[in-house]
Amino acid sequence: MEGLLQLLFNGLSVGAVYALFALGYTLVFSVLGVINFAHGAIFTMGAYFTYLLIGGAVGANGLLAGLQFPFALPFWLALPLAGIAAAAVALVVERIAFRPLRDRGSDPLLALITSLGAGVILVNLIQLLVGAESYSIPVGTLGSLPAALSIAGAKVRTVQVMLLAISALLLAALSIWINGSRSGKALQAVSEDPVTAQLLGINSARVIQIAFGISGFLAGMAGGLVGLSISIAGPYFGIGYGLKGLGVLVLGGLGSVPGAVLGGLIIGLAEACVPADLSGYKDAVSFGFLFLVLLVRPQGLLGRPQANKV
Amino acid sequence: MLRSGGLTPAPMKRRLASSLAALLSAAAALSACQGSEDQGPVNLSKGVPVGAVLALTGNANVYGQDQKIGIELSLAALNGAGGVNGKPLSLSIEDGGSAEPSANAAVSLQINRGILALIGPTLSQQSFSAGPIAQRRGVPLVAPSNTATGIPEIGYFISRVSAQSSVIAPLSIAKALQLNPGIRRAAVFYAQDDAYSTAETVIFQQALTAKGLKPVTVQRTQLNDQDFQSQITAALNQKPDLVVLSLQAMDGGNLIRQLRELGYRGAIVVGNGMNTPNIYPICQKYCDGILIAQAYSPELQTPANQRFTAAFAAAQARNPKVSPIPPQLTAQAYTAMQVIGEALARLDRRQPLKGLPLAQARKALMAEILGGTYQTPLGEIRFTPEGEVIQKNFFVAQVRMNAGGKSGRFSLLP
Repeated sequence: MEGLLQLLFNGLSVGAVYALFALGYTLVFSVLGVINFAHGAIFTMGAYFTYLLIGGAVGANGLLAGLQFPFALPFWLALPLAGIAAAAVALVVERIAFRPLRDRGSDPLLALITSLGAGVILVNLIQLLVGAESYSIPVGTLGSLPAALSIAGAKVRTVQVMLLAISALLLAALSIWINGSRSGKALQAVSEDPVTAQLLGINSARVIQIAFGISGFLAGMAGGLVGLSISIAGPYFGIGYGLKGLGVLVLGGLGSVPGAVLGGLIIGLAEACVPADLSGYKDAVSFGFLFLVLLVRPQGLLGRPQANKV
Repeated sequence: MLRSGGLTPAPMKRRLASSLAALLSAAAALSACQGSEDQGPVNLSKGVPVGAVLALTGNANVYGQDQKIGIELSLAALNGAGGVNGKPLSLSIEDGGSAEPSANAAVSLQINRGILALIGPTLSQQSFSAGPIAQRRGVPLVAPSNTATGIPEIGYFISRVSAQSSVIAPLSIAKALQLNPGIRRAAVFYAQDDAYSTAETVIFQQALTAKGLKPVTVQRTQLNDQDFQSQITAALNQKPDLVVLSLQAMDGGNLIRQLRELGYRGAIVVGNGMNTPNIYPICQKYCDGILIAQAYSPELQTPANQRFTAAFAAAQARNPKVSPIPPQLTAQAYTAMQVIGEALARLDRRQPLKGLPLAQARKALMAEILGGTYQTPLGEIRFTPEGEVIQKNFFVAQVRMNAGGKSGRFSLLP
């Protein structure tokens, strides 16, 4: 029982980050039908923003070497602010990498490449500004909270519990917004059919901007939380999460919000279930699982089958 | 829009074939170009050319930055003492990233520039991939930090100043058991996709077994892993009182932090991958107490080491946040540059470099490197005919973090 609980905690804490990450992909995919490959870079920027806002100093490399804000915010405040800053970056990405192509009526697939380009530029920009070294959010950032909690015999790091709780909170808030607010319903309408939505008086361009903003906010928050949990392993550290998030997106079903959550948790649990002796193969196991699911349900767990248009 | 892979139409096949032929011709022309470059005389117009390929980006950037400082200090010392018999050494540093393809590209680029010798790449994994390129092109490569078994065996032109794991790693196990005689259960972690880690863990596990401590669990990770909750909780279920890590600085630092946060209080022995002060910001206060065997002591009282430590302290004085005590990787990189500089000076006295064909100069330089004895910050070193370093002094250190847990030092144990 204790072992099962431990496995559950291990899987859920990792899966929650994957879910949060994949939700950002999902929001953009639902309105544009393409994947925003700059999402990993925005996630990385969120981690750096959090680090700087809590008073972290830039290291010895990069154009901003030695920079430190004259204030140090508490983590609870820094995290949402970092999310907002990341949302602003996501809006810039939308403006330069997506909108010009959309305005010209280009094939949506081209946006894959422009977003990939934007992601590469962002990562290199981080490196140019703050160097390639790793940064860590100080261990005592959470104040007097204990480093780990023991729940019914299972041990879990406090930061992981917090990560799980904040992720759950964000997911709940997102669901409420999508289903209960006017703009959330507008997003659903645009994801169903952007042209019809436009005819019904919905400003599709505005809805797309909202989707990018929220997607960036979620990525920024996820980056800050992961930075707190582990460390910021240089400008490239979002790439691994980007790949995993992509897998989660496909597993849950392209464009499905509940699918992204389910997919994230399943991949997290699948990784946690890998026997200790084979723990180095957990990526192979999770992607193998994804492969098997797609053989049976090509539309993903909660995705809808694509109708063939003639 | 046609998205299907389908059958390729015949005209497209012809276009594909002709494109392929053009590509092959271009590649052949390029390789011919490279060959002829190697045949020309050594280009001394900007100084005596030496190159370095270091991991300045990616997961291993923490090592590359330590190494860059060492190489630059050594270059300044060599040129300050007259360079190569009056000719200054000219150094070009390329970022080899933290992966094999980037290291391969950087090594090829440096060789095509006409350098006489190369320092790097940073990781053993990279050297196994890029070393054969230097060997094929006949360029002396001095590895400053590769400790995996088999590096000098890549070929005649490959040597290293970093003693291999089999020599150093067992020392820290012996020290851990000396400090904690009650240790009975050892847990081992290593990154299964990294040549250094897989080579070193074998040495660690053999050393443990030789001491009657067969590991109770062996946990495999991957180089890019950052969350180790599953592996750690599985290991802690085995109630270890010694944890032995063969990991790089980033993943190892994170694992130590998570291990301590999850309640492990026993001894921790780490391998050479964590032999850098750059682990301090990663595991922070949790770095305190870890044991590590070292091939360098800042306290070694030799003229060469005193010159080096003084130069390092002077260079770091500009940044008060950085420790004035040089780490092993910096000392080894300094040594690699010193070995090449001194060997070049001897070669130039024997056969003036001016006008000497590049390929011939590189070959003669390799013989000089292997034949010399060097008074370095690591102590006196020389090489076996295969290019393996012969070094006398090894140490075991314990990391001691300062009160705030932001900085610390490698404190040598008696």
